[in-house]
Amino acid sequence: MVSPYPPARDGIAAYAVQAVAGLRAAGHDVEVLSPGPSAAHHHLDLAGPRGALALARRARHYDRVVIQFHPDVFFPVPCSGGERAAIASALTVAFRAARDLEVRVHEMDYSLGRGSSPAAVALRMMWRAVPRVVVHTEAERASFHEAFGVPLARVALADHGADFMPHTTADRETARASFGIGPDELTFLSIGFIQPHKGFDRAIRAFAANGLGHRGCRLDVVGSVRLEEPGFLAHLSDLERLADSTPGVRLHTGYISDEAFDRWIVAADLLVLPYRHIWSSGVLERAALYERPVIVTRVGGLEAQAAGHGGATVVDTDADLADAMRVAADEALGTAAAERDDDWPFDPARVDRDAVMTEVRARAAASRGGVPPARDTGAADGRQARDAREASVPLRRLGPLSVPAPVSGRPGASILKSVVRRLTAWEVDPIVHQVNRLQQAVIEATERLGNLPKE
Amino acid sequence: MDRTGTIAFVPPRYGDEVIGGAEAVIREVAHGLAARGWSVEILTTCARDHFTWANEYPPGESVTPDGVVLRRFPTVLDTPRAERARYEQAIASGWPLTLSDQQRWMNDDLRVPELFHWLLDRSASYRAIVFAPYLFWTTFAGAQVDPARTILMPCLHDEPYAQLEIFHPLFSGARGLWFLSEPEHALAQRLFELPGNQEVVGSGIETPDAYDVEGFRKRYGIDGRFLLYAGRREGAKGWERMLDAFARAVRRHGLPFSLVTMGVGDVHPPADMVDRVIDLGFLPAGERDDAFAAADGYVQPSALESFSRTVMEAWLAGTLVIANGASEVVRWHCERSGAGLTYDDDLELEQCLLFLADAPEAAAALAAKGREYVLTNYRPDAVLDRIESTLAEWTENPSGAG
Repeated sequence: MVSPYPPARDGIAAYAVQAVAGLRAAGHDVEVLSPGPSAAHHHLDLAGPRGALALARRARHYDRVVIQFHPDVFFPVPCSGGERAAIASALTVAFRAARDLEVRVHEMDYSLGRGSSPAAVALRMMWRAVPRVVVHTEAERASFHEAFGVPLARVALADHGADFMPHTTADRETARASFGIGPDELTFLSIGFIQPHKGFDRAIRAFAANGLGHRGCRLDVVGSVRLEEPGFLAHLSDLERLADSTPGVRLHTGYISDEAFDRWIVAADLLVLPYRHIWSSGVLERAALYERPVIVTRVGGLEAQAAGHGGATVVDTDADLADAMRVAADEALGTAAAERDDDWPFDPARVDRDAVMTEVRARAAASRGGVPPARDTGAADGRQARDAREASVPLRRLGPLSVPAPVSGRPGASILKSVVRRLTAWEVDPIVHQVNRLQQAVIEATERLGNLPKE
Repeated sequence: MDRTGTIAFVPPRYGDEVIGGAEAVIREVAHGLAARGWSVEILTTCARDHFTWANEYPPGESVTPDGVVLRRFPTVLDTPRAERARYEQAIASGWPLTLSDQQRWMNDDLRVPELFHWLLDRSASYRAIVFAPYLFWTTFAGAQVDPARTILMPCLHDEPYAQLEIFHPLFSGARGLWFLSEPEHALAQRLFELPGNQEVVGSGIETPDAYDVEGFRKRYGIDGRFLLYAGRREGAKGWERMLDAFARAVRRHGLPFSLVTMGVGDVHPPADMVDRVIDLGFLPAGERDDAFAAADGYVQPSALESFSRTVMEAWLAGTLVIANGASEVVRWHCERSGAGLTYDDDLELEQCLLFLADAPEAAAALAAKGREYVLTNYRPDAVLDRIESTLAEWTENPSGAG
């Protein structure tokens, strides 16, 4: 087994170790090679052509080789076209050297296999050298075949959770008590590595938009930063700000054990997986293991993966995500959303538009999350809050970018639009997400700048 | 006052079923002047729909019951408009277009050569020729014929088209400009070099004698509290975004409102909102007034308003206005009157709706200020007085006959 491996806390490592356990339990003699020092039997720097060729020398000594493939293990980030071509060629040698090879793909950018560049040609050659490719969803299988020309007969589907074993024996009450969660607190959980594409910020905003913290709900965001890269750390900083300003949201950062990971899942009432892009999710499998419902975004192969589990709600947009969380809260709390702050402190005989607008804006800011809302008190700090809000107005008026609904009054046009929508979603949706994140970030940055003390 | 000579009004569309703010303003002024003894002609197209520009009304001359001469000219639309679509994208994105490209954009759309030539042949016979709004071929081409007799009622919005250089001569060359509001005037001053003759004339709003709320509810089978939107249901008017925000607010907060709409365009409510979104289609004036009075709130989601008659109609009916703050004009009305709430994003709209739902008495108290505002500023007589004053000052009867 060639794979990241514990004690590295990594989804693939967790996946691999369970696969190894399953194989060993079935009587196989399994040795593990990991890309860095770990609990594996061997370790080897697998990055670059040199790493791939070193793998080729090792691979021929085994009856069967299983590679848990993530491109970052073999290809540097960033990677030029020339480097990619060279590494893919070296991996082709390694793959051909193995007697019986299975490559389990955890992530792959299929666009890299399209076109006629040397890198694309080399990648297609590399994948065609693999006798058995294993993916987790039908969508990935089709993409693999289309992008790399690997015959469908050689691309197998595996149940992502087939080898998953529970890591905790705690029941819900015990688990909740261990994290200080009250028995009646409806608990949403987003858990995993903290990185932008996991979209935990979307979960917090959706939670804020529904004012769920005021309804006795909580959202726990649990995870650690996988790589200490500026982009990831900046995202963590964003999450900290969001969590600080959103009632009911708690951010727990740092490495946790497999047992604690599972205990969080057991403790939660509902998992929120608001991924922006991902191919398949181990967290989704672990939620299924403990029969916890999930809300998951329709990206990669998650819809297909979730289809195998009851209790999964698949959503498309941020608004859908917020709606799904609210519906879950309504159902769990047995209240139909009507519970809200319906006390508007205005005397009809003396009501004043400016006062109403101030209250409207403060309540909207609280729903928006991000920058703490402030009511205009007429004092200097109130004016400053108003200035900060005014600064972001042009950005907020733009509204979120959304994909037009595939509807039309013309006969047949709705079906055609739906087909086009499905075919282009993989390309369009990431752009939509990025634009909306960018807009949100600029709004917050603008308001924060406006809130800075004036010299 | 010397009311001799004929005033021609040139809107791109005219008719009972035509929905559009500029068209309504022109109609109201033209007939108002006719009622005061002016000779008035309306020179327009045979089109009803501003997307297809299909010739739906017959061409030729007719006379309305109040003596206004109506002349219709056929539209010509003989290009695929593909080039225009490309230029539209460039304009919306803020890409600079050469003057030549701007001309091609303007001309790859409806054209009305017979109208143009009518003006070419007879412009000197008119005391003034009033064009509105600025954006259409009828105005762009027609106003070039006789700028000295041209009065432009631009109905200007802060939109990418307004940045196009081809419109500069239209604004700077006209004999005079009528604006509907101070913010529109200020925008024009920012964008163009204006002629000496400029006046904010406003738009007159007729006050209904009475409202029949119960009758309206009965006739259209509407129960319960509702929000109203009147106008074109299209993206440019903010309909789709407002509809989405309304649906989300209902789902999140269980708002007690339906959304009633009257006007033209496809409604496309979300599947779970089909029962809450009620499309009444096109309504005659009296029914419209009753709808405004029956509504709990009027929502104006358009960012592109140069006056917004519907906001005034809502206030006259004592109904709270909740408007998109991106429209400088409507925001100005709301702030000046103290009778309307504005929102800058969907969450603020949501909170405005919650205020309306939870504090109806306070909302009604705000709305009451709106009626006073309209009656003080936009009575038809006051608007016509201002218009007549400018006509007397800026124009003269071409025949010289008194």
